[in-house]
Amino acid sequence: MAKVSNWQLGRDMEYPYAADRPKKQFTMIMDTNKCIACQSCTIACKSTWTWGKGQEFMLWNNIETKPYGFYPTGWDVNILELLGEQEWNGDVYSGETIFEAAPEGERVLGWAPAEEDWSHPNIGEDEPTGNAADTTYIPDNPHSMMWMYYLQRICNHCTYPACVAACPREAIYKRPEDGVVLVDQTRCRGYQECLTACPYKKTMFNLETRVSEKCIGCYPKLEQGLQTQCTTSCIGRLRLTNYLSAPDEIDPRKPADFLVHIRKIALPIYPQLGLEPNVYYIPPVHVPTKYLTQMFGPGVEKAVEMYRNAKDDPELLGLLMLFGATERIMHTWDVTGGVARAYDEDGEEIVAVPLREPTFVRPFEFATEVAGEPTTGYLHNT
Amino acid sequence: MTETQITRKDALLYGGAAAGGLVVGGAAIAAVAVAVDNKKPPVEGAPIVAPYVEGDLPTSDPAARAWKGADRTYVALAPQQIAQPFLEKAGITSLDARALHNGAQVALLLEWDDDSVDDLDGIRRYHDAVAVQLPTRSGAPPALTMGAPGSPVHILQWRATWQRDIDSGGNTGVDQIYPAVVHDVMPDDVLPPKTAQLYWVGREAGNPLSQNVRSSPVEEVVAEGFGSVTHLPNQAAVGHGVNDDGRWRVVIAIPSARDGVGEPLAPGSSWPVAFAVWLGSEENRGGRKHIANWQTLQLEGK
Repeated sequence: MAKVSNWQLGRDMEYPYAADRPKKQFTMIMDTNKCIACQSCTIACKSTWTWGKGQEFMLWNNIETKPYGFYPTGWDVNILELLGEQEWNGDVYSGETIFEAAPEGERVLGWAPAEEDWSHPNIGEDEPTGNAADTTYIPDNPHSMMWMYYLQRICNHCTYPACVAACPREAIYKRPEDGVVLVDQTRCRGYQECLTACPYKKTMFNLETRVSEKCIGCYPKLEQGLQTQCTTSCIGRLRLTNYLSAPDEIDPRKPADFLVHIRKIALPIYPQLGLEPNVYYIPPVHVPTKYLTQMFGPGVEKAVEMYRNAKDDPELLGLLMLFGATERIMHTWDVTGGVARAYDEDGEEIVAVPLREPTFVRPFEFATEVAGEPTTGYLHNT
Repeated sequence: MTETQITRKDALLYGGAAAGGLVVGGAAIAAVAVAVDNKKPPVEGAPIVAPYVEGDLPTSDPAARAWKGADRTYVALAPQQIAQPFLEKAGITSLDARALHNGAQVALLLEWDDDSVDDLDGIRRYHDAVAVQLPTRSGAPPALTMGAPGSPVHILQWRATWQRDIDSGGNTGVDQIYPAVVHDVMPDDVLPPKTAQLYWVGREAGNPLSQNVRSSPVEEVVAEGFGSVTHLPNQAAVGHGVNDDGRWRVVIAIPSARDGVGEPLAPGSSWPVAFAVWLGSEENRGGRKHIANWQTLQLEGK
């Protein structure tokens, strides 16, 4: 075991290999508040990468409803239960990671989903939780005591992947150029240790080729400066494919660095497991803090507050408006004169988006005259 | 019968032991006879003596009469608990081994009890297998732990999956794992074969594990320690495995010459030999296996 630095935990931790951060790290930012679970991303991924025989149950990308949705079934509650109750001491994690809690004879604390666990990707869909007696059919506040939200899931292309740690063959590797985690298809011998180890359950076994496969971060697109299929197919424009700098090289002009490290509005998923996952979530604003803290760590309250105030923060608002505005990966952005602009690596403008779309307010008289409505209370499309 | 534990210390000790194929019987207790077709019970700790026979060896027939001419040796097995990941508990405690040779080829017949035939790979579904480990060079045996850097071993692994690949003509995929499966449109339904093949990435990339059309159920590899198995470009091992009564009987054979791999297995020579067994039903795979300590394989002179 080596000592490695995990910034998400605010401390060093044990890992089977020495730290070797990539030049830049592939990352995805998800704004959970915008998702409607249309699964356009899931279909885009499936039809691009996993429509082959042997991949029937594979969804490298999936959307599940929290708290009762899982793919595979119980993926997060199972590892949380195995790990047991753990504590954060402020921003420093004082509990054990899945590497530190590994039992004798294992490199990682994990569990292996059964085949039926992979068979219900829509389990729990749209099921809310909370006490129905505490709510009303005509709620007196926009968010009643009942809640649910959609969680967008791909491989986290972790800085300290559990799949890499567990593979006895060293068949899984992290690309030094962009941090994308890949299974070497010539080297894997199908032991499925990665399926047991990955707490996010994002390595999968191909039934025809008998080796593991996983989300490849659409690297052929990345290499052309393009965002992933799940990002560009998202009709809610809630995803951003980007690169994160190493923690000691943070550049506030870069979108991911700004959201993750400067504004801290986008948070890692289950950081306490110790993998330093690189998909970051803007948490849903209507979900109890306790639940969100378990999933996204101690920064939840501040992130929610920041999101609620984004309308008064042009720099942040501009960046959020640029999500889904271009297929190309943006390297920097700025906001001037009410317009957000994204730039490529050479500083060339990729796209410009107004912070506020031009609107036309239909005159009140016009509405009544045309629609024949009573002259009180009808304002269409304001 | 007590379970045999091989500790890391044991493995290192035997790995560095003096020349001559040190034989270590695991448990110091008498073997229980499990003879089915032999009058003589298998003997624990005895060398595996390969008599010289004229003509072809029964490389594809574990039930051939020729095998009756070779004595069985009882080989103790223990759960692999030297390198992570461990096999937590043993599903079996022994295998029986015997051997024959004809000067050009060496064949081993390995038998162990397993009332579950596991010959398909799926999600959390693993296959039965057995492996034979030999040094590439004469002299002190390499580390039992699949060799060590600079001290390679030659491994022959028979897999139930590969046997089924051969016996069924490659019908060992989704349609066999889930016989009631209904497919949507698949790449091979609508694309030219060469293009459709691209969707089976492991197969297309040439991974030997990913092929379903093959000529031998035995893979020949070299290794220099756990996790370092390397598929040999020239695959010369053959074999055949059968289990229709709760017991696997598997023949594994290789050319004595071992061209490009190591020193020949010459008549009259003795070699350290070790074994590993995987029970698919017990979720054995990779390092989660049963292992035997070094035994001695004696090839009788012509």
